[in-house]
Amino acid sequence: MSLLGENLVRTDAVGKLTGEARYTVDYDGKDLLHGSLLRSPVPAGLIKAIDTTVAESLPGVRCVITAKDAPDARAGWVLREQALFARKQVRFEGEVIAAVAADTPEQAREAVAAIILDLAETQAVGDMETALAENAPLVHPEWKSYQPVSGEDYPRHGNIASELMADDDAVDVAFENADLIVEDEFTSNRQYQAYIEPKSAVGIYRDGRYTIHTGHQYPFNVRDRVAQYLDVRPSQVRVIGHSIGGGFGGKLDTGLEPYAAILSKFSGGRPVKIVNNRTEDILTCPSRENAVIKMRSALDKQGNLLGRELICHMDNGAYSGEMAFMPSVIFHLAGSVYKVGNIRVIARLVYTNTAPTGAMRGVSGVYFCAFQERHMDHIADELGVDRREYRLRNLVGNGDTLLSGQVLDDADLLRKGFEKMEEAAPWSQLNDNKKPWHGIGICAGTWITNSMPGSVQLILNEDGTVTVVTAATDNGSGAVSMGITQIVAEHFGLPADDIVVTMPDTDVAAYDGGSQGSRTTHIVGRAAGIAADELKGMIFDVASGMLEAGRDDLELVNGQVGVVGYPDSRISLGDIAMTATWTRGPLSASGSYTTAPVPYNPGCASGMLFPFFPTPTYHVHLAEVEVNPVTGNVRVVRYIVVQEVGRVINPAGVRGQIQGAVAQGIGHALYESLRIRDSRYLERSLEAYRLPLAVDMPEVEIITMEHPHALGPFGAKGVGEPAIILAPATVACAVSDAIGRPFNSIPITPEDVLEAIVGKEKQL
Amino acid sequence: MLERFISVSSEEEALAQLNAHGEELQILAGGTDLMVQLQQSGQRTRRLLHIEKIPGLQKISYNGETGIGALCTHRQIVESTLLAHYRSLRQAAAQVGGWQTQMVGTLGGNICNASPAADTLPPLLVHDARITLVSQARGSRVVDLEKFLLGRRHTDRHHDELVSGITLSQPPERGSDIYIKVGRRSATEVAIVGLAACVALDEHRRLIEDVRLAVCSVGPVPKRLYEIENLIKGQEISDSLLDEAGEMLLELIEPIDDVRASKKYRAMVAPRVLREAITCCAQNASG
Repeated sequence: MSLLGENLVRTDAVGKLTGEARYTVDYDGKDLLHGSLLRSPVPAGLIKAIDTTVAESLPGVRCVITAKDAPDARAGWVLREQALFARKQVRFEGEVIAAVAADTPEQAREAVAAIILDLAETQAVGDMETALAENAPLVHPEWKSYQPVSGEDYPRHGNIASELMADDDAVDVAFENADLIVEDEFTSNRQYQAYIEPKSAVGIYRDGRYTIHTGHQYPFNVRDRVAQYLDVRPSQVRVIGHSIGGGFGGKLDTGLEPYAAILSKFSGGRPVKIVNNRTEDILTCPSRENAVIKMRSALDKQGNLLGRELICHMDNGAYSGEMAFMPSVIFHLAGSVYKVGNIRVIARLVYTNTAPTGAMRGVSGVYFCAFQERHMDHIADELGVDRREYRLRNLVGNGDTLLSGQVLDDADLLRKGFEKMEEAAPWSQLNDNKKPWHGIGICAGTWITNSMPGSVQLILNEDGTVTVVTAATDNGSGAVSMGITQIVAEHFGLPADDIVVTMPDTDVAAYDGGSQGSRTTHIVGRAAGIAADELKGMIFDVASGMLEAGRDDLELVNGQVGVVGYPDSRISLGDIAMTATWTRGPLSASGSYTTAPVPYNPGCASGMLFPFFPTPTYHVHLAEVEVNPVTGNVRVVRYIVVQEVGRVINPAGVRGQIQGAVAQGIGHALYESLRIRDSRYLERSLEAYRLPLAVDMPEVEIITMEHPHALGPFGAKGVGEPAIILAPATVACAVSDAIGRPFNSIPITPEDVLEAIVGKEKQL
Repeated sequence: MLERFISVSSEEEALAQLNAHGEELQILAGGTDLMVQLQQSGQRTRRLLHIEKIPGLQKISYNGETGIGALCTHRQIVESTLLAHYRSLRQAAAQVGGWQTQMVGTLGGNICNASPAADTLPPLLVHDARITLVSQARGSRVVDLEKFLLGRRHTDRHHDELVSGITLSQPPERGSDIYIKVGRRSATEVAIVGLAACVALDEHRRLIEDVRLAVCSVGPVPKRLYEIENLIKGQEISDSLLDEAGEMLLELIEPIDDVRASKKYRAMVAPRVLREAITCCAQNASG
């Protein structure tokens, strides 16, 4: 029986339910020390002196370290700009200034409180407008001295951390010839990943090497970053993965790991554990960035799009992390759904004295889609054309190209998505039957399957089971506990119980690009398939000798190899493994995979360009909202997702990812927001940060479109991210429809809604 | 030396402890607010008097008047058939935090915590709740809830006193009551604005014979809105009357900006909630 499309129970379910699962915070031992960090109390300032003498003398304290104890090195994902400890300048509230290791967490915290910090607060650059103003103070006065991690430097200057431009003179012509110009400005605020488990890490320094225990989405990134900070070779750092209490992109770069590592070194090699409290976690999370987009479109009399101009400013916070790539997300998406004519894209990443922003599920695509879709609604309204009809008219199709020149082979799936949606929820019927204070939105989008490399080693054990050695992580998505497990089981005809997947360990497994961008099932699943094919070849070699039959006459069915047509000839994988081990050596095989680059036009843009938009998937969403006219609260009463997935490996897994992504998207659209006042977050606890609750969520109706991808494992593409891409867009369009006023700012709060309602009432 | 955590199993024991050490003791009656406060303030040295094991204070009773023991949990209130005619109180109790806090948090605790945003206080105020306090030295006394609430997190309870119960007035004939809570989410919210109304119609079900209104989260202490009650009493509901009531409300409340909502939003939403509450009650009372 095939396991594909079966709702197998995830392999980590029981452990997580019973409490057996080991998270980093569970790491224990009699010699364990506890770390705590002194963080900058101000968003911008100059350190004049740090006096640690009192702190060092406190009971239980093993070491107190500051910048003078750390290597003079800068680290970063893309740009080497951040030191382990602020040496002279602090650039955001929460930046680490000193670290303490002590026998108990309380002693460590007391020692941190006893460090005497002489710090002169300086003028902070609190927002992008200030940062981009003439003569603005520079967040990094020494920006010119920073080096990119690899390759050539990219356009950046002053408070602009990264800039991407794609220009076309024809855009100006389009606007000159336009019969109608539609213009909008959109803003969106920061979103916290809000995983259940705040960040934590354990560091151990022994025999000249650092070992890190961490529940992390991307262990190899931790390895590389810790190596940069501590100025050692990456192979001198070993990262061991643990169960992860959620990540959503917030655990893709290092957090506490390098501090735990260096504290161990200064504590005689004893393990040091650091655990964020929730406030620390919020203040330093690499949140989804806030952004401002100005979008304007030129149209002819018939409403055809002649051209578009798009200027996007994204708040980088004080350090870049992987943000330097994000302007290119805007660039790719700008031509990915609708034929918009000639287009100009200017995307800038802006330094501010606020917590560094970073990756969160769907990265910059989430707000981009919200703005593009609201803009499409606006154009349709101006033209007096039905919103759905206007989208269909301008939809890209097979053979259309992105701005990079990359050809979209399967873009007709967008139109098919609209058809599927129409079957589930006929548009005109919904509009005709709309109740008062109800609104509907329909949106379309494309999204990527991240191309980063992955690898798998498969070992056939002597008991007939298969061990999967991989650094792929299951951040809760099920990509490993369901996806990879089920894919490997399917290859060998084994039950999922016979597949053992190791936890990530950078000493044991080869490189993996982390649980990001919906990549794990697709990339690592494909690597597993390559390894499985090789291992099966070895199995047939051995079995052919055992069965005295030609290789080509053999088949692998239900974990047994036999001669085709002779059901009695079957021998188990265990017997084959045992024979192999003692005759020719144990059987194992490896597979590696990364999406091959697709052709594109290198001259398409200037700036830090992620060169292609790998393995796109296609999506259509529909939402119906109900507005409470008394309070301005919005409730999403119906939500439908039509999602192209390649191939469903585990329906429950796909469902969980889509439901969860929509929930997180509705959170971004209506509830969640890290607001900044005077360069500091207003929301500093989960009491203040409004995560939506289960009772606030609709049951999402899910329609999957299977369109097996030639290179995906059994055709599977990425599933985890795409459903968040359109959720804020669809909700924003529906709320705008309900009130008859544009909502171009995310989140849409009850205050915004009520203000619009009151404004309308006054007009009447 | 006094223990940090003292758990008593009788009222006498509790009163003796309060008599001896009342000023140093913080009463723990559910703890859904207290534990968070202790965690946030870092007051690890605070001494706690745990009273949840005292028998007899967990009952809801009717003896000519409705009485609620101080240790009744919010869930008990939600599910009590004896409180069927105090819909607003049940609605409020059903919106205190989430299920977990409702199972543990008590009415007495909610009252004594005297939060400006306490959900149960507006409905208790509109039902003219009276608080019974007992002490070893002076026996028992009864205080109107309104007089018991002195300010933000400040009550008339003396250090040696224990709140033992709450009594409610008879619900009016031809009446209906409601509690409306404004919050971002449908549960686990601190009220942005909370408003309770109790409206009774005359025999012809046309004029408002009696109305009682109370609000929370728009000032340091939840309070009755007598001026608006006097404006509405004896009148027929109309748009202009409700407009006037809404304008009057803005004179009576002191909304502030905080992380949950802006002053502007509170001022915008409060009159709308008032209108909704009175309209709903009148509609229910007329049928």
